[in-house]
Amino acid sequence: MTDIAEAVRTQRLVKRFGQQVAVGGVDLVVPRGSFAGLVGPNGAGKTTTLSMVTGLLRPDEGAIHIDGLDVWRDPVAVKARIGVLPEGLRLFERLSGRELLSYNGQLRGIPKAEVEQRAEELLRVMDLADSADKLVVDYSTGMRKKIGLAAALLHNPRVLFLDEPFEGVDPVSANTLTEVLRRYTASGATVVFSSHVMDLVERLCDWVSVMSRGQIVAQGPLDRVRAGRSLNEAFLGLVGARGDGQGPGGEEGLSWLGATSA
Amino acid sequence: MAGRDLGVNDSGFGEDARGPGADGPAASGSTPAPAPAAGASSSGAGRVSPWIFVRLKLRLVAGNLRGNGVRLAGFVFTVIAALLVAGLGFLGLAALRFAPDDVAADVGIVLFSGFLLVWAVGPLLAFGLDDTLDPSRLSLFPLRTGQLAAGMFAASVTGVWPAATLVVMFGAVVGLAAGAGGALLGVVAVLLQFALCIVTSRLVTTSLSGVLRTRRGRDVLAVSVLFFVLAAQLPNLLLNGGFSADPAAALRSLASVLRWTPPGMAAHAVTDGGLVAVAELAFLAVLVLVVGRLWIAALRRALVTPDGSTEGGASSVRNSRGLLARILPDGPLAAVATKELKYARRDPRGRVGWFSSVAVTGVLAFSLSQGEGAGGIGLAVGPACLGAVMIGLQSANSFGIDGRSLWMNAVAYGTGRDWRTDLAGRHLAVATIAAPLLGLLSVVAALLAGNLAWAVPAALTAWGVLGVGLGIGAVTSVLVPYSVPDRLNAFTGAVPGQGGIAFVASFGAMIGGGLLSLPVTLPVLLGLTWVSALAVPYGLLLSWAGRRLAGDLGFRRYPELVGAVSQSG
Repeated sequence: MTDIAEAVRTQRLVKRFGQQVAVGGVDLVVPRGSFAGLVGPNGAGKTTTLSMVTGLLRPDEGAIHIDGLDVWRDPVAVKARIGVLPEGLRLFERLSGRELLSYNGQLRGIPKAEVEQRAEELLRVMDLADSADKLVVDYSTGMRKKIGLAAALLHNPRVLFLDEPFEGVDPVSANTLTEVLRRYTASGATVVFSSHVMDLVERLCDWVSVMSRGQIVAQGPLDRVRAGRSLNEAFLGLVGARGDGQGPGGEEGLSWLGATSA
Repeated sequence: MAGRDLGVNDSGFGEDARGPGADGPAASGSTPAPAPAAGASSSGAGRVSPWIFVRLKLRLVAGNLRGNGVRLAGFVFTVIAALLVAGLGFLGLAALRFAPDDVAADVGIVLFSGFLLVWAVGPLLAFGLDDTLDPSRLSLFPLRTGQLAAGMFAASVTGVWPAATLVVMFGAVVGLAAGAGGALLGVVAVLLQFALCIVTSRLVTTSLSGVLRTRRGRDVLAVSVLFFVLAAQLPNLLLNGGFSADPAAALRSLASVLRWTPPGMAAHAVTDGGLVAVAELAFLAVLVLVVGRLWIAALRRALVTPDGSTEGGASSVRNSRGLLARILPDGPLAAVATKELKYARRDPRGRVGWFSSVAVTGVLAFSLSQGEGAGGIGLAVGPACLGAVMIGLQSANSFGIDGRSLWMNAVAYGTGRDWRTDLAGRHLAVATIAAPLLGLLSVVAALLAGNLAWAVPAALTAWGVLGVGLGIGAVTSVLVPYSVPDRLNAFTGAVPGQGGIAFVASFGAMIGGGLLSLPVTLPVLLGLTWVSALAVPYGLLLSWAGRRLAGDLGFRRYPELVGAVSQSG
C-alpha cells in the first residue's frame, strides 16, 4: 500500500499512441492537501497524464493510486473522491448552467434537495447566478470554466484535477476561480492543475511537477524546484530551453525578419 | 498541421509575402473594396497556382487518415461506394443508347438537373466535412480573391465524389451523343455542367457560411435538413400515390419543364450535337462565369464579415421539471432520462432525428397503404413496426449525441451497473416519446388499412419491436460507437472518417433488430394476432438483456467508448 499522505501517486505510467510515446514512465506524486501545479511545454504529456489519472484514458503500463486506492482496480471509491475538469471545455451544451449542475449531482446519487442547494451556492460564488438558466452553449470561455469547476466541485471531492483551468479566462473570472480553489485547498483538499502560465503556478501552488517529453523532470515543493530563481527560469532550464532571455537560435537565422531588413 | 504540411512554404506564399508591392491588390475584382487578405499585404501572390490547393486538399485527406485504421476503413468504404456509383452510373447512362431517343434525351435532362440540385444542397448539409471549403481559414493568406476562388474551385473538384460525378456524367456522352461532333460537344457540355455544379455548390455554401457560423443559423439549417429528408421521400409518394399511372408521360412532362434549365440545356446539347448545342454551350459557359463571379463576390464579403457566433443575447430556458422527473425517484436514472428528453427538444440533432423518423415513417405508411395488394392486418402492423425500427435505429448510437461531454458520465460511473442505469435512462426517454407516437401511428395505419381494431395488435407489436431495437441499440452503442458531428450532415451522421463505423452500427442494429423481431412480427403478420400480446414482454426482455450486456461491455471499454464519441467533427 502506498503512503496515505499522498493524494496522488503514479508508478511508471506509460501511454503510447501508435509509434509516439506520449507519456514515458511518469511517477507523479502529489502530497495530500497541496495545491499542485503540473507544468510543461505543449506536448509534454500533461493532458494525457491527467486523463489517465482521472480514469478517462487507459494507461498502457503503470499504476495510479489516489488516496491509496487504485484508479483502475477500485473505480467506485476513486470516482467518488475525485473531481475533474478536462481540457477543451467539453460540457453538455444544451443544458443550462443550473441543469448541468443538477445533472451532475444526480448522476452521483446526491439527493435532489441537497444538489439544488449546493448548485445555488456554487452559482452564486462563481458569479453565474444571472446566467444560470442560459444554455451552456451560449456561455463565454470564462463562464464555461467556472461552470465546469462548479460541476467538478459539486460532490465535494477530495482531489480535484483541472486541465488548463485558466486558459482563455478573463482576469475577473480567473480571480473567482483562484479564490474558490484557495478556499477549497485551505480545508485540506488537494488540487492538481496543469498550466503553462508560470506566474500563476508560482503564485498559487505550493507543489510543482515539471513535465517534459513525457517524463517528470522535477517535482517537489515550489521553493525546492525553483531553487532561488523564478519558476519561469527554473522551468526553461529544466525543459532544456535557453533560460537566459535570448531568443531561440540567438543571432543566427531569421536575419530577414524585422523592419530593418531589405 | 504545420506549414510544411499545407504545402505552401516551398511554393510561394513565404517569398511573395515580403516582396514589395508588386501588382496591386485584388486585380481580378470589379468592386472597389478588396478583401483585407489581399489588400493588407499589397503584394502580388501571382505564383500561387490552384495546384497548391489541390495538394492542400489531398494532404488534408491523407492527414485525416494517417495512423487511424478505422478512418482508413471508412475512407476505403467511401472510395468503394464512389467507385460503384461511378461505374454503375456510367454504365446506366451509357445504356441510354439502347433506349428510344426521346426517352433517353428526357432521362438525360432529368438526371442532369438532379445532379445540379444534389450539388447545390448536398455540400451545404455536409458543411464542415471538408477543411478546404471554409474560406475564413484562408483569409489571412495574401491571396487575391480571384486566386482564392480558383484555388477553392480546384480543391472542390479534388475529391472522390466530384470524380464520381464526372465519370457518371461522361456516361451521358456515351449514351446520348450523336456522332463524333456530338461526342466532342458532349464532352464540353459535361465539363461545363460539372463546373456549374461545383460553382453553384460553392456559391451556396459561401453565401451562407456567415449564417452557418452562428449557432442559431446552424440550428435552423439543421432542422431544415428535414425538408430534404421529406423531399427524398417525394418520389416514393408520387409513385405510390397513384400520381401517375404512366411513368413515361410523367418523365416527358418533367423533362419538358427542365429542358430550359441550365442542366437541361447541357443534357440537350449532348443529344443535339448541332448548332443549337453550340449556342446552349455558349450560354452555359457564360452562366458558369456569372455564377463564378457571384461566388467571388460572396467570398469577398464572407471574408470581411465578422463571425456572428457571439452576437445577440442568449435566451434563458424554462427552469421546469418534466413529468418524468416528478415520477422517477431521484438519481442517475432520472437525471439521464430528463437530460435526454431536454436534448431531444433543444439539440437540433435530436429534433432532426425525431422529426425525420416520424416523417419517413408517416410517408412510408401512407405510401404502403396506397399500394394495392393483399392488404389485411399487415397494412396496419407493417407501418407501425417500421416506425418502431426507425426510432430504434436512433438508439443504435445512444452516446453519440452526448459526444465530447460523455466524460462527465464516465468520471461518475464506477460499475457496469451504472452504465446499465444510464442506458435505461436513455431508453426510458426514448420510450416516453416513442410509445404514444407508435400508438398514434398504429391508429392511423389501422384507419388507413380499413379496420380500427387492428390498431391494438399493431401498437403492441410496434412496442415490442421498439424494445428489441433498443436492446440491440444498447449493444451497438457500446461496441461500435461513433461521433455525431456538431454540424449537421444529412448523409452519414458521423464525423469525417467514421462513416464506415456509423454504417456498420446502423446496419448491424437494423439487421439484428429485424432478426430478433421476427419471433413476434412474423406470426402477427401471418395472422396469429394473439402473439402480439407477447410482443411487449418480449421487447422488454430483450431491451433488458441488451442493457445488461451493454452495461458490462460499456464499463469494460468506457475509455475507448468516450474516445470514439469524442472525435471532433
